[in-house]
Amino acid sequence: MLSDRSPLSLRAAAIGGLLFLHLPILLIFLYAFTTEERSFQFPPPGLTTQWFGVAWNDRPDIWPPLWLSLKVATIATAIALVLGTLAAAAMTRSAFFGRDQISLLILLPIALPGVITGMALRSAFGVMDIPFSIWTIVLGHATFCIVIVHNNAVARLRRLSGGILEASADLGANAFQTFRHVLLPNMGTALLAGGMLAFALSFDEVIVTIFTAGSGTGSKTLPIWMLDELIRPRQRPVTNVVAILVFATTFFPILAAYYLTRGGSETAGMGK
Amino acid sequence: MTPAVEFSNVSRHFGPVRAVDDVDLTIAEGSFFAMLGPSGSGKTTCLRLISGFEKPTGGTIRIFGEDVSATPPHLRNVNTVFQDYALFPHMQRVALARALVNEPRVLLLDEPLGALDLKLREAMQDELKALQKRLGLTFVFVTHDQHEALSMADSLAVFNEGRIAQIGTPQDIYDRPATRFVADFVGSSNVLPPDMTRSLGGPAQWASLRPEATRLAATGPLSGTVTALRYLGSGTRVLIDANGTEIAAMVPAGEPVPAEGAVTAIAFEPSALHLMGAS
Amino acid sequence: MTRSAILPARGPADRLTAIFWRHPRVLLAILLTPPLVWLGVVYLGSLAALLLQSFYSIDEFSGVVKEEFTLKTYGELLRPSNFDILVRTVSIAAAVTLACAILAFPVAYYAARFARGHWKAAFYLGIMLPLWSSYLVKVYAWKLILAKEGILGWTAEQTYTGWIIDGLLSIPGLEGSSLSTSPIGTFMVFVYIWLPYMILPMQAALERVPNSMLEASADLGATRAQTFRTVILPLALPGVVAGSIFTFSLTLGDYIIPQIIGNSANFIGMAVYQLQGTAGNIPLAAAFAVVPIGIMLVYLGLARRMGAFDAL
Repeated sequence: MLSDRSPLSLRAAAIGGLLFLHLPILLIFLYAFTTEERSFQFPPPGLTTQWFGVAWNDRPDIWPPLWLSLKVATIATAIALVLGTLAAAAMTRSAFFGRDQISLLILLPIALPGVITGMALRSAFGVMDIPFSIWTIVLGHATFCIVIVHNNAVARLRRLSGGILEASADLGANAFQTFRHVLLPNMGTALLAGGMLAFALSFDEVIVTIFTAGSGTGSKTLPIWMLDELIRPRQRPVTNVVAILVFATTFFPILAAYYLTRGGSETAGMGK
Repeated sequence: MTPAVEFSNVSRHFGPVRAVDDVDLTIAEGSFFAMLGPSGSGKTTCLRLISGFEKPTGGTIRIFGEDVSATPPHLRNVNTVFQDYALFPHMQRVALARALVNEPRVLLLDEPLGALDLKLREAMQDELKALQKRLGLTFVFVTHDQHEALSMADSLAVFNEGRIAQIGTPQDIYDRPATRFVADFVGSSNVLPPDMTRSLGGPAQWASLRPEATRLAATGPLSGTVTALRYLGSGTRVLIDANGTEIAAMVPAGEPVPAEGAVTAIAFEPSALHLMGAS
Repeated sequence: MTRSAILPARGPADRLTAIFWRHPRVLLAILLTPPLVWLGVVYLGSLAALLLQSFYSIDEFSGVVKEEFTLKTYGELLRPSNFDILVRTVSIAAAVTLACAILAFPVAYYAARFARGHWKAAFYLGIMLPLWSSYLVKVYAWKLILAKEGILGWTAEQTYTGWIIDGLLSIPGLEGSSLSTSPIGTFMVFVYIWLPYMILPMQAALERVPNSMLEASADLGATRAQTFRTVILPLALPGVVAGSIFTFSLTLGDYIIPQIIGNSANFIGMAVYQLQGTAGNIPLAAAFAVVPIGIMLVYLGLARRMGAFDAL
């Protein structure tokens, strides 16, 4: 008989692994309150809340990147929601020629390293003489967000029994009424979750973005701003304040996505 | 009178699988029509062809004389009681009400009572039959339960391997099975090979003999050794090895039952022996 | 009963539905066209552009891209300085993958086989949240940790174990003024960032091992260790391979982490980034970017054969 109790060493290793994943993130919070602005001295020599005020009042360079990131994430998510849902609806229908190839095509933008997607887009913009703008950023982000929405939608559609669509038609609903009154309410939470994950992914993306944003000051997203601060630090605790903001902006949608799709396999995370 | 549903040479093939193969079928208006068969015999596919959830790969389907080959499910004036909803009697009634609220001209029922236990199922069978009579509506009822089909239907089709083995009234099907498959599937009849039929004084053809049409006697046209007994409450089914062919006989409750290994003879009226076609 | 067996179409929506029903391919085409146009044009088009540029070359004197087919640029990848970059990147990707597999196993194993109820949810969230959280924030956190004056140095000082770090930093090839500027730091951050991508598929694979199989193994007289080695490990292998696809591919292409943490040794991603930017040598950048595609295609082919895709 196998015992259901785990060896103590295994439990310790597992919990140790979880702590290893989480403790570093907590440090970000601590350092936002340090009085030391030139080094990463631990423990902080003193604690202060002044950096939140500084970030809010004295650093106008934070705001344009923040707005740009929000704008890009919103537009990219909207595009991904439409395209990802359409693709999911097509892929869950009966088998058709080329289905596996299309499924690979949808997955490819996140299966290949980001630097390739970025460099590929950069090459294409170069070949076609497309100037960098917010739209070149959106183009890249929407491409790898499609798969996130697609995966969430496919997982939900697979769980939905086909009978529910037949019952709807049986009662006299046409395809559009079935979509509006049966499919959409049933897929709502999965699409919301997919949208939130896509938003979090886009808001935080830096690897592809650097290749598609160009070097103009107006095309600096918040992650690019943060990267600049990491390479050439100014007021280090201010970077921490922004890091907390970025963390929160991605953390809550992810948490919401989890609760929206609990019990299913949508948020398995292998999308990112 | 125009039939409610009419199939002419209807087929539904899934790749190499012939789920429904060249079926002709006529369902009279106002009748309680049962489609009976083992799973995978094509009965449910036929039902889905009527509702429009499947499209025929060949042939024509008419509902009240109108060709529905261009009509999607939501524009067909038929409704379905789905299997999924039929888990509990009260849900069953909701599913019925749901299917009837659009006043369909044909009601399709896909094994609606399959998940119920025996007592509830019998109650629901009575209720369904009464409802159908009251409404005068055409019911097409899919089941793999031969008792259900025999007791409820005005006429029934027995499906086997995508084709209809026999269509007729329950009495036709039960008393005069057209094929060995029907004889065996409906009421587990004894199927006698041609040489045995001939030895009983008939032509060299396959024949069926219902167990309840037999009785055990001291002498009779068939005899053999009792190999097994199965107590059924209303009687006992006695299996007898008659020269290598297994014959089942029914002994009504209250009558003496032979022991296993005993030698006994089987008697029956000559009219109980029913000759069947070759297939 | 005078109602027809066929109801009249109530409008264009009904008529369209009828068309979809009669010709399912019409609906399929309508659904598939927008995403396929996007992915086909934007993504595949870009990849084609990348491939195209990798066959161009740069004029050594004028620095202008010559738009003529040549294999010269790929030849440049074999120059020792460039080939070093390829070897270094593949080596660290392999090392990171191995470390992730070892660290991930206890977490995945515990979460899959022993965690129940609230603990199960806590483990799931506890793995998923770091996976999805901001990449840059996580990298930044390690900048804080590994800095000479940071928490790791402080802890070492308090526990008089600073000599361990000093010892590591004096190993040839791994030198640095602190972990933050040593290749050890780069390696640690890679492992941390990609670890959740290894845990999840591994956990999924372990969860698919039926309890009855373990009981059968015990029933046949296997000790716990034997069961672990002969039943659990082989069944977890597809999960490990699936996870390694992510850890390997992501390490192969990353250029942010080595830029922030480590001794600025060059990796494929950094080479691509620098060549297309400051150096302006887009053909060589493109040729560098094609290498991970090739490696990953071979890797995916092998993984598929090992049944790793079922564990995704």
